[in-house]
Amino acid sequence: MAKKSQQRRTDPRKKQCPFCEKEAKYIDWKDYPTLKPFIDYFGNIRQRYYTGVCLRHQKMLKTAVERSRFMGMLAYRK
Amino acid sequence: MPTLTASSEDVRVYEVAVLYPSVLHQKEEQQTLKEVETLFAEAGAKLMEKDAWSRRGLAYSIRGHKEGNFVMYYFEMDPAKLKEVDEALRIIPHILRHLIVKPPKGYQVIKFSAEYDQWLKTRETDAQKKDREKEEALQRQVADKAKRQARRATEKKKEIVEESSPIEEDKLTEELEKLISDDELDI
Repeated sequence: MAKKSQQRRTDPRKKQCPFCEKEAKYIDWKDYPTLKPFIDYFGNIRQRYYTGVCLRHQKMLKTAVERSRFMGMLAYRK
Repeated sequence: MPTLTASSEDVRVYEVAVLYPSVLHQKEEQQTLKEVETLFAEAGAKLMEKDAWSRRGLAYSIRGHKEGNFVMYYFEMDPAKLKEVDEALRIIPHILRHLIVKPPKGYQVIKFSAEYDQWLKTRETDAQKKDREKEEALQRQVADKAKRQARRATEKKKEIVEESSPIEEDKLTEELEKLISDDELDI
């Protein structure tokens, strides 16, 4: 039983939204260092399930990433 | 970090981002920027803040350019004229991309040109740290090797000394025996 509990992943419901912790009201599309961890190797936006971002901030993140993709700061597809 | 608020209800604050290739000559660069600024001046916009970024690599090639310069403008402008400006920006040569965004209320202007450099510096330090750690590990290995060699050398010397000392003892015993065996000595 002890082994099983070690192998099990941490409960995704316990994850805290990194933007809620900072009380971010707006995610800036120009802020490359903050956007970068939410993008995977292929340039896709990481799932909310893995990053723990709340829905409100995920939507803001999406617009920010799309804007920075249009301006050539982030890749559409690697 | 100044906060942007519209001076009256008729105007709104807009953030205009312009991307142009970094390979332009200085004259062309100044011309394009002037054109943009005059365009907004004609539309009755008031420049509030400007932030010019240094050369940056693009994530994908735009019109064959892989590096570009960004310029951020913060204008106070009549919303009715936004469409004209947006279309006019598209026509200006040497501009790869432009983006007009309405920042939220109480938006604080952050100079990302400086922040990005700082971020790069922190990243560099991380890389340097790794290099440093590697170098330190190598140095440790070298030092350990040197210590081991020194130890071996000292051990060998000790062995030599140990080998040499019994001979002397033998000699001493022989001499002593000679002395003892000598009948001429009277004690």
